[in-house]
Amino acid sequence: MIEKKRMVPFALLVFSAVSLAGCGAENVQEQVNSAAETSETNETEQAEGTDAIAGTLSFYTSQPDADAEALVAGFREQYPDVDVTIFRSGTEEVVSRLLAEEEAGSVQADVLLLADAVTFENLKEKDLLLPYESPELAHIPADFVDQDYMYIGTKLMATVLAYNTDLVEEAPTSWFELTADNAKGELTMPSPLYSGAAAYNAGVFSRNDDFGWSFYEKLYENETTVVQGNGGVVQAVAGGEASYGMVVDFVVANAKEQGSPIDFVYPEEGVPVITEPIAITKNSKNEGAAKAFVDFVLSEEGQQLGKDVGYTPIREGIDAPAGLKGGDELHVLSADLADLLEGREEDKEQFQSIFGAH
Amino acid sequence: MGVQLDGAHQRFAFFQKRRLLAWVLALVIFCLFVLPVIRLFLLSFFQEGQLTLSYYTQIFSEPRTWTIFGNTVVMVAGATTLALALGLVFAWLVAYSDIRLKKLLQLMILVPFIIPSYILTLSWTQLMSSNGWVASLLQLLPFSLEPLQMYSMEGIIFTLALSHFPLVFLFTVGVLRKIPREMEWAARASGASSWHVFKQVTFPLALPGLAGGGLLAFIANLDNFGIPAFLGIPAQITVLSTAIYQEVVGFGPSAFARAATLSVILAAVALLGTFAQWWLVRKAKQTETIQQDHEPRYQLGRLRLPVELSLWAFLLMITVVPIASMLQSSLVKAYGLPFSADHLTLDHYRFILFENDRVQGAIGNSLLLAAGTMAICLFVGTGLAYMRARQPNALNRALEVFVGFPYALPGMVLALAMIFMWLEPIPGWNPGVYGTIGILFIAYITRFMVLQVRGSYTAMVQVDPSMEEAASLFGARPMAKWRRVLVPLLLPGVLSGAFLVFLTALTELTVSSLLWSSGSETIGLMIFNFEQAGYSTHSTAFSMLIVTAILLVMVSMYMLQHVRDRRIKDI
Repeated sequence: MIEKKRMVPFALLVFSAVSLAGCGAENVQEQVNSAAETSETNETEQAEGTDAIAGTLSFYTSQPDADAEALVAGFREQYPDVDVTIFRSGTEEVVSRLLAEEEAGSVQADVLLLADAVTFENLKEKDLLLPYESPELAHIPADFVDQDYMYIGTKLMATVLAYNTDLVEEAPTSWFELTADNAKGELTMPSPLYSGAAAYNAGVFSRNDDFGWSFYEKLYENETTVVQGNGGVVQAVAGGEASYGMVVDFVVANAKEQGSPIDFVYPEEGVPVITEPIAITKNSKNEGAAKAFVDFVLSEEGQQLGKDVGYTPIREGIDAPAGLKGGDELHVLSADLADLLEGREEDKEQFQSIFGAH
Repeated sequence: MGVQLDGAHQRFAFFQKRRLLAWVLALVIFCLFVLPVIRLFLLSFFQEGQLTLSYYTQIFSEPRTWTIFGNTVVMVAGATTLALALGLVFAWLVAYSDIRLKKLLQLMILVPFIIPSYILTLSWTQLMSSNGWVASLLQLLPFSLEPLQMYSMEGIIFTLALSHFPLVFLFTVGVLRKIPREMEWAARASGASSWHVFKQVTFPLALPGLAGGGLLAFIANLDNFGIPAFLGIPAQITVLSTAIYQEVVGFGPSAFARAATLSVILAAVALLGTFAQWWLVRKAKQTETIQQDHEPRYQLGRLRLPVELSLWAFLLMITVVPIASMLQSSLVKAYGLPFSADHLTLDHYRFILFENDRVQGAIGNSLLLAAGTMAICLFVGTGLAYMRARQPNALNRALEVFVGFPYALPGMVLALAMIFMWLEPIPGWNPGVYGTIGILFIAYITRFMVLQVRGSYTAMVQVDPSMEEAASLFGARPMAKWRRVLVPLLLPGVLSGAFLVFLTALTELTVSSLLWSSGSETIGLMIFNFEQAGYSTHSTAFSMLIVTAILLVMVSMYMLQHVRDRRIKDI
């Protein structure tokens, strides 16, 4: 009889194991239901043509939270029957998740909106994307559209030269001011090892005759600090830890608008521009809604929405937000995308060797 | 006689049933904790379907790998040693000396652990930055002295040790209190000096607690990503956890395989730590009394006030100061503006509390996740600890290792393992956990279970089995045995484990950042998102609210414990 008493802890264990399974089961049920809904709506949609855009749409993005939310809200005004779920993280995390899903057997995302074209070139090479020739393409400059229609740019994001307005009296005009003596120890930039946008910049600068790797070597000699991402750069510059920052324009514009002592310039040599392209995944379970979503993002309304949160529209005929330069005014520094993709690992290694990665 | 026979028979039947249960449990644990990790590890052994060790030979042949190993060793050894030293000093003073306000001191020691490391790091760098408080204080000095450069190996070790020494403290202080003072007296009566008593008696007896807490601190230092990423990137210091992250986000053709290879190496190091702990504890004697002894054993005399003052100064520096610098930046209109009357605002708090409904959703989710994780870990983890403590057979030891696996991996790697496992546990079948809050639940439970197991286990080994047997002999029913005997004795230790689980789950970031989906955002993610979008005033305001809330909960727990202690004394 005595021994029986020892049952209790085990009973507790089993109970908790069951309840663990139980809470999993609920989710399973939910998911099964929603999956069933999706496939039903898919079928009806196929039966009735394109009118019935409904079901769930899984949207993976690296856009800041509030912006992604605004975009989805705008889309749902037009397509109230589509239930959009968002996964937002850094571009690197999003791609990792996507590749892990692929590795595990099935990609869950329907639409992707990530930092730069090189990332999409990579996904395209891995055969993860679905070509789509959106009717809105008529208004998007061909430079920003993949020639196989696998991905399309959604906005223009320039990497600019930010500076702390308390510490810097005269606004800089050239990237080369960063290699001068009075900028020694005063520049911060994101690391290409962690940030896709920074890797893109390194690729573009190093392939540009005016700059080359010697530009980065000089930056290193001038005691440039490297941080993980663009957010960190803005913080360092706004907080006065550094006078200058190499950083994506809209983040600086945001901080400036909030009142931080920060401003930025587009240096005269030109700026690297990323386009935050959008794409549909190859095995999207809701192609109809995915296409409608892409169309919406590129449409006049969708672009206007992006502009309202501070992005430079890519679509012709819409002006850039106040303080930012639009497509026609930007002097863009660029490089061949295929070359950038191919050289990315080498670029990172080169960067590491210059900055003496230990 | 009849009764006895009956008993023997039942005992046999029960033994069978219990063995079966143990094996079922082992299977469940294996599937939940080990399979995902194995699935990931397998990636490192296969190349295009072929079994190979080429990733290992490749990685070991790169000189960079050895630099990374070197950095990792220096970082982990430094931070763990410092954490052990700090933890032991505090534990000894709190357990044995006659310093005052011990309860409050104990509470303060926990603060650096409960402040999420991304917040702690941020506030320390701000504090030490060229325009921070420390710099302006140092400028007042006649000679020139620079504040500690946080973006350096020293900075990383310092921050890691600060966030993890409370683990050592928590596990050691209880053990110290149970060392019979008679043993120390005996040693001293035979002429041993204080130092000798410590070295020959106290230290060996305190070893189980020290080793248990030290192991967790070791693993936490090893797999921590936030601190070496934040402080190491500017200093160009790469350690294993950041190297794994670089591999994963580099999305090269063999990114996952290489990341998996590095993870296997990391897990091997963590396993070595576990064995080291076993080996140390195996040699340790277990001659503890049942009751914690709260009476001071050493009178510090004239030294008491200086010791108290320096303890408090240290604790205030590592808790209040970072929090204050965070508070300061959450109150100015925009990041970087000077802290003066015309720049002050509560707007960020208003935004967080009332204007952003996603913040409320995130708080709700995190509370739900943390409470759920805590509840399940509390039962399962205590059960496991009970089995491990009372029947330390091979199976139960193996279970302990299994449960520790997910904690020993960097969060990013565990998250990937979770995707591999739960998207399609059996090819072609998607149970639909992935993409819901359920996957976060599973991930948190597997990741933090070990905290509960270790907490409960430390509590268990301090309760003499004879107490339990006595209760049984006197005919206590199982429920009564637990309710009247075990629960009251174990409660403080078990609860401190549960508390750790709750807090770490509440502010978890790395695992969540890969596994969440809309509707399941968490506190850590919201802070991370604000930070990434450049709204650092919002992120500091939110962090401030979370830290305040946690402190409030701690203070109320402290009060509750106070009341409970009084009641126990009354009995």
